[in-house]
Amino acid sequence: MSEAVQLDTGHELDLGWMDQHGQWDTKAEQSKYGLTLADIQIGEYGDAPVESDNQTGRPRGAAERPGSYRIGNYAVRTKSEIWLDNASFLYEEALQRQWSSATDIPWHTIEPLPDDIEQAQCTMDTFLTEVEFVAGDVPARWISQTTPDFFEARNVLLCQVMDESRHMDVFRKRALANGGGLMKATGGTAGVVGSIDLSRDFTEMSSRLHISGEGAVLTIFRMGELMAYNDAEKAIYRLCAQDEARHVAFGVMHMRYMAETAPERHEEIHCYLDEAERGILAGSQNPAGQFPTTSESMAILLGGGKKHFDEGRNKLIAIRRRQLSEYIKRVRSAGFGDRFDNGRSQVPEILADIAA
Amino acid sequence: MTPVPNPKFEWMNQSRQWGVRVKPGKKGLTLGSLNVGIYGEVPTEWNDQTRNPRGAIARRGMPPVGYAIREKAGIWADCAADLYEEAIQRRWAPATDVPWDTIEPLPDDVERAVCQVCTELSQYANVDIETISSWQHQMAYGYHEVKQFLATATFDAGRHYEVFRKRALRNGGGLGLESPGEVNRMILESRGGWTEAVTYLFLLRGTYAMTMLRYLERFAHNDAERFIYGHVIQDRARHMAYALDHLKYSVAHVEDQTTVLATLLFIGDRLFARELRDPVLREALAIIFGGGVEGARTHGMATWEAMMREFMARYEGTCEWLRVRRAPDRIPEEMRRFLPEAD
Ligand SMILES: [Fe+2]
Ligand SMILES: [Fe+2]
Repeated sequence: MSEAVQLDTGHELDLGWMDQHGQWDTKAEQSKYGLTLADIQIGEYGDAPVESDNQTGRPRGAAERPGSYRIGNYAVRTKSEIWLDNASFLYEEALQRQWSSATDIPWHTIEPLPDDIEQAQCTMDTFLTEVEFVAGDVPARWISQTTPDFFEARNVLLCQVMDESRHMDVFRKRALANGGGLMKATGGTAGVVGSIDLSRDFTEMSSRLHISGEGAVLTIFRMGELMAYNDAEKAIYRLCAQDEARHVAFGVMHMRYMAETAPERHEEIHCYLDEAERGILAGSQNPAGQFPTTSESMAILLGGGKKHFDEGRNKLIAIRRRQLSEYIKRVRSAGFGDRFDNGRSQVPEILADIAA
Repeated sequence: MTPVPNPKFEWMNQSRQWGVRVKPGKKGLTLGSLNVGIYGEVPTEWNDQTRNPRGAIARRGMPPVGYAIREKAGIWADCAADLYEEAIQRRWAPATDVPWDTIEPLPDDVERAVCQVCTELSQYANVDIETISSWQHQMAYGYHEVKQFLATATFDAGRHYEVFRKRALRNGGGLGLESPGEVNRMILESRGGWTEAVTYLFLLRGTYAMTMLRYLERFAHNDAERFIYGHVIQDRARHMAYALDHLKYSVAHVEDQTTVLATLLFIGDRLFARELRDPVLREALAIIFGGGVEGARTHGMATWEAMMREFMARYEGTCEWLRVRRAPDRIPEEMRRFLPEAD
């Protein structure tokens, strides 16, 4: 392309660019849900490459400029590493289901609570504020390293960062809304080996964050009704559960895609799941786990006060059971269920123990 | 295995400030309204390297997460909390909120120009996404208002990436030619700190993009385009508000910061000017402003020049507001000729 520009007079035009474009005559049509990402996955624009060689940040399907700088430096450029089949759907759903913690929670329904219950609630809020930010920071880091050729998956992760930001603020709001305050942090999300921060591979991260970590939190949010003392708290758990369900779905669908398209990585993924089961499912990042601060708080909330701790503990055990059985279901659905049949995973055993 | 051991309740009665009762106001229970008592104390340095929420009691002895940005001056803007809530209130969904049905076939040259501009704007959004998300995890937790606002900014950018792609693929056209990449590289490579990234991404590129979008809105061909440009402007206006507020804060609190910014812009202007020599975006805009190739040669290009004058006036105006000294003779000719006094 020439630089034949006469800026002050005449205005000669180059126009060479007009014949350099991606597939032409494209006419995406709206579907029932508007003009969705799925509706524009047409012709050459719909094909995400198995290996992306896009190092210039070019929108998928645009014409290449031979002189463009290689500014991408993307770590994630193999489709199986991040792809999932329903990303477009999850993205559009996330956009439709955004909510505001300022105006969509009926804050006026919160009434003063007995001190032990308020303290337990505030402790859970402090803890959840901590973990929500892991779920925001870590996906953000991966977003920046993913080629735009896989933008559908990347956009779902952008929604996740947004969702987590809202979760973080809704729990902070709850802690400061009812005569309480923040309590002592658990430190459960510090940079320790085996944590969500510590991943060199996207699927490794996703197995810990989406499948085991957020899966466990999702079960709790879904049973939030049992811990809620007013409509505001019910709304918080219900809306957060809706968001978490999408995050978990991302992990499950991605892992399924991985199972189907990269059988050579099967054993490696099992190793990540081993680690996830050892760490997060039983450890300090699961509020229904064995960490006293969070498990005791939850038992107080579930039982209705310190006096009814045993009742609360029984309900907590029920939640724990449900967490584990839902985890098994998800991993099976993702295509890695063999670990529960061949004795590799201890989760069925733990589940049987708890049931006994 | 005992799922829940016998309780000790050691965590009870541990709070730095108890008895807080923030009530919802006219705009609901907002993030900014939580800043009462110790919860509103935002220190100039945040040395806690865990994810300890601001105002909670830290658990001692935890290994560090490793945040790079731990100084308030490197990140802060007072308006971040309000912008965060505003972003949530003003959310929109390209799939269902844009009146896509109002798009009618356009003359071929105009459609090509619109598609080219959409390709570039989609790529701008890509740079927004990649730049901001590469910094987010490096920002200390004590400044959560900014981190939360930036989550809305990348969420907006994801939507911009999507909406311009949708427009390009909707009306019998397709994507055009990718960006040259020089300015994109500069923004992505601003490793000197978040403030440097803000300078290039928002003060320079952002001011230019906002000016362009205002012109595009004025020359929109249908309600769908008007909606898209108008809403992207609204989103970007929030990003600019944060950016300028932060730069102002940084200038007020970091020694020699105005000189540093002047140097950054001196370098940035050169790359920006080189990219201005590339005809693609300029001609595509001129075709849109001129209603076709013929009109582009005359009033289309004249309108583009008016747009550039407006850009330079805003850009220089902001620099002046920040007290960043700019010697006109050090501004590259491709930009200088659009300065007000050059008329
Ligand atoms: Fe969350
Ligand atoms: Fe989540």
